[in-house]
Amino acid sequence: MVNMQIFSELYRYREFLKTSIKKEFRGKYKKSFLGVFWSFLNPLFQLLIYALVFPFILKNNVDNYVIFLIVALMPWNFFNMTILQSAASIVTNGGIIKKVYFPREILPISTTTSNLLNFLITGIIVFVALLISGIGIGISIFVLPIIIIIQYVLQLGLAFIFSAITVYVRDVEYLLNVFMMLMFYLCPIVYSADMIPANFLPLFKLNPMFHIINYYRVILYDKQIPNMGNVFILFMICLLILILGYLIFQKCKKRFAEEL
Amino acid sequence: MGKKIYAIKVENMSKNFVIYGDKANTLKEKIIRLGKSKKEVKEVLKNINLTINKGESVALIGVNGSGKSTLLKLMTKIIYPTSGKVSINGKLTSLLELGAGFHQDFSGRENIYFNASIFGLSRDEIDKRVDEIIKFSELEEYIDNPIRTYSSGMYMRLAFSVAINVDADILLIDEILAVGDQHFQDKCLNKMLELKKQGKTMVFVSHSVSSVKFLCDRAVWLNNGKIQMDGKTDDVLKEYEKVCG
Repeated sequence: MVNMQIFSELYRYREFLKTSIKKEFRGKYKKSFLGVFWSFLNPLFQLLIYALVFPFILKNNVDNYVIFLIVALMPWNFFNMTILQSAASIVTNGGIIKKVYFPREILPISTTTSNLLNFLITGIIVFVALLISGIGIGISIFVLPIIIIIQYVLQLGLAFIFSAITVYVRDVEYLLNVFMMLMFYLCPIVYSADMIPANFLPLFKLNPMFHIINYYRVILYDKQIPNMGNVFILFMICLLILILGYLIFQKCKKRFAEEL
Repeated sequence: MGKKIYAIKVENMSKNFVIYGDKANTLKEKIIRLGKSKKEVKEVLKNINLTINKGESVALIGVNGSGKSTLLKLMTKIIYPTSGKVSINGKLTSLLELGAGFHQDFSGRENIYFNASIFGLSRDEIDKRVDEIIKFSELEEYIDNPIRTYSSGMYMRLAFSVAINVDADILLIDEILAVGDQHFQDKCLNKMLELKKQGKTMVFVSHSVSSVKFLCDRAVWLNNGKIQMDGKTDDVLKEYEKVCG
């Protein structure tokens, strides 16, 4: 009953949701000279740096390291930006929260969704790179949307949790910055999953993002279809995190206007 | 006695505000102050019971700090009660703070869309109303200029025009009639009277005795977070003026 209500509320406020997503999407680079090109240039420079550092300085010998890297780096950036921005989403909108009622859920949802759009658009880089390198695109591409949905569900859940908690403890925003640095190395981005020593692997596998990043690589770089049973389990876990996040948000949101 | 349909029902509702001497927002402060945080609980509203039926227009009167605005904020769900219940039956719009979501760099017309969407209107619904909103605001000449060029009076006129045209069943209005010149104030009062005649429910906070009398049949006098008196506007105002006049 309560859960149904939120859907009808969100439907009623759909225009506000739409304008919020648009505003965040466009607003990001609005004042800069190169504008929306930065959403392409940023990951390209990042890629360039990693692609120079890891093969030449650390001497690893992965074939097509640039492709190996980019298929994991782009979804990582999607994760990183969503989490950091959504954590601040309630606090930065304190003004309107104190003034008017609207479903507070709209704020983390619009941050997560505008980042999804950004990811889908900048994702073009990945496909261009796959085609240029000769790796090409396999039939496994059909699994990709499922992985993107799983990642979105996970991020929405985390966005609910962090945006709500940040209102009460402002440090969360900064703690997350540090945590994301660690997280980067806990996911198979610059290395591949099978480089992890066997006795540590179960520990790494507790992290849903570990699997998500790995699936991107399996699908795009190895061009293989992952075990769909495992994908389904991952989806259920992420869905649980979303439900948990939603419940935490419900608990916290009643005092937003007073805490801000 | 026929059973009337309620628009707003407040049952055994209390609201406390926790006032910190100095609020701990960061972890460091929270740890340092652990156990010795100075906090004071202030009971702003005490066991309020109030039913407002569909089609009624009710004035909330009382001195500053008596809890009128807090009660409105509870009705619009910006804040939630500490205990008890507030039930709303119908689409509610609050005119507590005007111009939520206004963006200085955008034109008046664009801001109508931003502002109305926060009130929960869809694009079609706004499209249908936009001309009427502009006409009501009397800002036709300036509507495509960025609102940072507006005077504060123009700004409030635009904001009020959006809010009043949202087409809600229940309207909460908090002393905002102080905006604009006499001509615009009269226009707003007349518009509200028109809405009242259409059967809208209204809760109206005002210090202006004349507009309360003009608009409301019933008045609720809040004193120190409690309902002191609830009855016909004239009766309540008479008693109120004896004490506070």
